Amino acid sequence: MANYHFNFAIVWRYAGKLFEGLLLSLELAAASIAIGMAIGLVLALISLDGPKWARPLIAAYVEFVRNVPLLLLVYLVFYGIPSAIDLQYDAVTSFVATLSIYSGAYLVEVMRAGLEAVPRGLIEAGKAIGLTPMKVLWHVRLPTAMRIALPSLSNTYVSLFKDTSIASAIAVPELAYGMRWIETQTFRTVEVYLLATPIYLITSYAILLLLRLAERRYSIAR
Amino acid sequence: MAETDARASAAKPVIAIEGLTKSFGANQVLKGVDLSVGKGEVVAIIGPSGSGKTTLLRCINFLEEYDGGSVRIDGTEVGYRDGTGARKRRSDRELAAIRVDAAMVFQQFNLFPHLTAAQNIMLGLMKSRGRSKAEARAIAEKWLARVGLSAKVDAMPSQMSGGQQQRVGIARAVAMEPKVLLLDEITSALDPELVGEVLAVVQELAAEGRTMILVTHEMAFAQEVADRVVFTDQGRIVIDAPPAKVFGEQPHERLRAFLSRFVGFRPNPA
Amino acid sequence: MATLIQTLPFLVDGLLTTLLVSACVIVLSLIVGLPLGCVLAFGPFWARAPIRLYADFVRGVPILVLLYFVYYGLPAIKVNLPSLLAAIVALTAFKSAQIIEITRGSFQSIPTGQTEAAKAIGLTLFDRFTHVLAPQAARRFLPPFVNSVVDTVKGSSLVSLLGIVDLMLSLQQVIGRTHVALPLYLIGALMYFAINFPLSALSRRLEKRFV
Repeated sequence: MANYHFNFAIVWRYAGKLFEGLLLSLELAAASIAIGMAIGLVLALISLDGPKWARPLIAAYVEFVRNVPLLLLVYLVFYGIPSAIDLQYDAVTSFVATLSIYSGAYLVEVMRAGLEAVPRGLIEAGKAIGLTPMKVLWHVRLPTAMRIALPSLSNTYVSLFKDTSIASAIAVPELAYGMRWIETQTFRTVEVYLLATPIYLITSYAILLLLRLAERRYSIAR
Repeated sequence: MAETDARASAAKPVIAIEGLTKSFGANQVLKGVDLSVGKGEVVAIIGPSGSGKTTLLRCINFLEEYDGGSVRIDGTEVGYRDGTGARKRRSDRELAAIRVDAAMVFQQFNLFPHLTAAQNIMLGLMKSRGRSKAEARAIAEKWLARVGLSAKVDAMPSQMSGGQQQRVGIARAVAMEPKVLLLDEITSALDPELVGEVLAVVQELAAEGRTMILVTHEMAFAQEVADRVVFTDQGRIVIDAPPAKVFGEQPHERLRAFLSRFVGFRPNPA
Repeated sequence: MATLIQTLPFLVDGLLTTLLVSACVIVLSLIVGLPLGCVLAFGPFWARAPIRLYADFVRGVPILVLLYFVYYGLPAIKVNLPSLLAAIVALTAFKSAQIIEITRGSFQSIPTGQTEAAKAIGLTLFDRFTHVLAPQAARRFLPPFVNSVVDTVKGSSLVSLLGIVDLMLSLQQVIGRTHVALPLYLIGALMYFAINFPLSALSRRLEKRFV
């Protein structure tokens, strides 16, 4: 340890790679969360209000995805599916699809818990002022459920951002991949980690901070 | 068997309930209820808990789906399509349109926690009465002023006391200009010192001739504000008469037993 | 089909490595995390601060980066760990932070009235801990802990990226040889599922029972 000579100059030359990597990580997370939220919301509503036969199907999806490693799902979608059927897609598309399906399984649970926690009286109050069920959903249930679910959502979102690092396993040039790439180019291992780790840390906590602010702004103290 | 007051809305009633039945599982909570309420009448429903009074109120705007009999608002059957043959439940869209005619104020206020006081009132005006945002805002401000909450127009429910929240709840209901206002034990969840401010608002609304049906435990208030008092027991209406008569002679044994539980309430016949 | 059956012993070897890594990580992080979590719940500020810093640091970084750091980063400062050990160290560092949080949360969610009531009947600090706080904390601890065992088994698949032949890497190797990708991935998924699903179900039941 004592004899290690730091040389940040070499690593700094490649810093752009890390920055691009971070941007891609954020894009991957944002896209997957957006799609995952849509999946989660729709399936949560179906499992609450929909036909009974849909419930075991949704449970099967949630249980399968949540009990299998994300890395395996990433490989399965990127290598497994194109090997079996005639379908071609690039690594980024493949990863976004995988992380969306993965996040969807977690977000179904979060959104269902949120929707179930909406007090019955609020739904009745919505009906009593003449709102149709769709309008009750849109103006009363969803806004309330989102606010109730926000703390859980925040944690899930940060986890999903960190999970984008797994895209490096299929050579998606996100932050973890950029980090490893610079390391193999420069052999300045310690410097690379000293630079890349804070990027993850700061970004994770920045996301969390923003969401906590949103929680405070939108909380419905009762 | 019910001592129906002859005066009861001889003209066309706003609310006409006939033979209403409702069961929860094996438990029949409404066993054939008849009630009609004329325009401008204030009817107070009293009775022991479990007597079906809240269920009766909730059937009027179909928050509770009744099994048999009929509920009509201004001649329109509430929950089911008129016509011959089997009864068919109305579509959600039809129900929504009918429900605004019987706006409800809830025991637990049920203000939308993510909306300000004004927005709580505006939501129904915009989404089911089709008012523009500006119109809805003006109506909301007018009603908040009426219930003495001009200062709380943009306050969130969590920033208001229970009494203030309930006054917003009343404003939200009455702003829809319903044909009848349903009040479901609206002071039961309030601290005693906040009851007065809410009842004052109700009294004013009664004075301007609004049709109201209220379920209440405030006997003195029922006596003061109601044109008729309805006493329910075990799923039936046992007494339906002007307050002076109900509280005056205490003709019915079960009513006497019920009233005796209200310590400090002295019926004073007019 | 026959080739698939021939590969099974190989996959089972990988599965055993997965289970070994997971078990080591769970045991070690309990040893590290439980006491540190208690300190975080009850200790003085000077003891809490470094633990809080550690837990927050680890939770802000992906497991994969921790793995890379221990495996590729430490040798640069002359700490050479064999890959299996490096993997266990990195995963334990991550899991310990979670155990610390779960432990702290379990104690802190106990109403303060419990401690007050225990004091009121004259229990010493030690008795308060062993007879009042610990039993209640254990009930709150179990559901999230079992859940985090599931996460450990899932997360252990990342050690394949360090060249450790766990279930994940043995799958990759078999697929490399047989070129039968999708069925093998599905078999692998089912093997992970077979371990994790009972644990998830247990966690849910514990949660229903205790919360």
